[in-house]
Amino acid sequence: MVSNKNAAVTTLQNILKWIFLGFFLFISLYPLLWLFLASFKGTNLDLQTNPFGLPEIWHFENYADAMATAKLGSLFFHSILVAGFAVVVNLAVTSMGAFILSRVEFRGREVIYTMVTAGVLIPIISFMVPYFTVIRVLGLYDRLLALIIVYSAINIPVSIFLLTNFMGGIPQELEEAAIIDGCRFHQRFTKVILPLTQSGLATAGTLCFIYAWNEFIMALLLTSSESSRTIQLGIRFFTSQFQTDYTSMYAAIVLSIIPSVIIYTLFNEKIVSSMTAGAVKG
Amino acid sequence: MVRENNTGKIILFLLPMMVLYILFFLFPLLYNLSLSYQEWNGITKPSFVGWENYKNLLKDEIFLKSVKNNLLWALVNGFIQVPLAAGVAFILARQPRFWKSLRVIYFLPKVISGVAIAMMWRAIYNPSYGVLNAFLGIFGNEPVNWLGQIGTALPAVMFQEVVYIGYFMIIILASVMSIPVSLYEAAQIDGANVFQQEMNITIPMVKTTLITAITLAMAYGMRHFEATFLMTNGGPAHSTTVMGLLLYNKMAAFNYGEATATGTILIIMGTLVIIVMRRLFRDNDNASVSQ
Repeated sequence: MVSNKNAAVTTLQNILKWIFLGFFLFISLYPLLWLFLASFKGTNLDLQTNPFGLPEIWHFENYADAMATAKLGSLFFHSILVAGFAVVVNLAVTSMGAFILSRVEFRGREVIYTMVTAGVLIPIISFMVPYFTVIRVLGLYDRLLALIIVYSAINIPVSIFLLTNFMGGIPQELEEAAIIDGCRFHQRFTKVILPLTQSGLATAGTLCFIYAWNEFIMALLLTSSESSRTIQLGIRFFTSQFQTDYTSMYAAIVLSIIPSVIIYTLFNEKIVSSMTAGAVKG
Repeated sequence: MVRENNTGKIILFLLPMMVLYILFFLFPLLYNLSLSYQEWNGITKPSFVGWENYKNLLKDEIFLKSVKNNLLWALVNGFIQVPLAAGVAFILARQPRFWKSLRVIYFLPKVISGVAIAMMWRAIYNPSYGVLNAFLGIFGNEPVNWLGQIGTALPAVMFQEVVYIGYFMIIILASVMSIPVSLYEAAQIDGANVFQQEMNITIPMVKTTLITAITLAMAYGMRHFEATFLMTNGGPAHSTTVMGLLLYNKMAAFNYGEATATGTILIIMGTLVIIVMRRLFRDNDNASVSQ
């Protein structure tokens, strides 16, 4: 009798557990799936008559329309350019900084490290006016270079945190051996520490890339013309361009999501582990 | 750590990073603060007005509504989203079937851009063509203009953020997985059921992480902006407005004084949330088992 009751409780627990997990699985995937299917449907009317099912005819031309109307090709190119160079600039300055902060003893080291990493606590949206002013004064308004610099700067706290911890874990003996072998200061950085930091650089770089690829508000604020428009701004402007043609707009959104999904598929271990490191220590 | 006499090299290596940090973190902080005491339209010379901008904000109903909504966002993020994430993390930590795939899938929406997610949910909520009304229509419900009416707009925007638990789930899961299995084995021998084990082992052991997660979630609630901007733009009738949106609108109206005053209050309130949470739970932390 008792064991029967226990078995019933266990079964009930199991059912509840899978309903709970199933709900979040559904909410994580179904909206994306629905959007994907909707992006192949013929007209807005199809969305009403056939909201859940597969498209009766797969309208690939929606994608061609989206590419043409919104000039998606050049927006993609701008975003890749911005995100790519933001990663390069960010990693260049933070790897040098982290090298000093993790492996060289000097007064003020702790202060600089704490001050820089505390930057994550600041809500960047509160800097709309200052960033606008700085970019104006630098003469970079409405240029992709503005976004490259801003994104690489915003990611300094996260990258410094990850790289300083990573470099701090490299055994001291390696560097001492290099000094005995006649390695000069900058060579200790380029020949000893940097090669051993590749995995940390990949993590920090991935996070910076995702941030830069996805960023919206500063792009909206710091650029105005089509020649410096990123993909995220593009999707936002589609709303007005595709007022009557929802399915093509959905195609455009799907296209903008694909690179994120590819990067996540390739690097999900790195991304997930960096999230953990940041939160547990911070 | 190597002692270094060469100050020049240290400075040289730190310089590029510090230049960017000063330009995009320190200077903005001070510039925000100083502009918030001035009246400036971006063209004519700014003039010092003391607390005028702050006084104007406190009299501004939209500002007060924004603060209220941000606080609501903070509470919903901290005390609905994080507990949901913790529930999922606790279950996944027991490594049920597919747990590794589920972990990856739950985090997926977090790497997709906020713009794409917001636009997707706008499509879902669309009164004529959205899948939500299509689904409810099966049961004979009339179409609802989810984002267009006061009662449903704020919950609708909040829903699409709260259900994406991936980030906090990952943080909490890592913490739960680091608890020694022997503790659970001992509890099992003593006859503790799963629920009792979670209450008496898991929650006390990951308390610090839970508090960190709640604090972070609340801080994110205070700075919430993007989804609201894209889905409702604060409407209808300012019912979904938040401080970030007000800042944006003040700036767009060339009212730089009140825009930066809003920004300064946003920074202060965001920091206060973190300090208050730390204070509230610090004593407990010291008393808890060494972690």
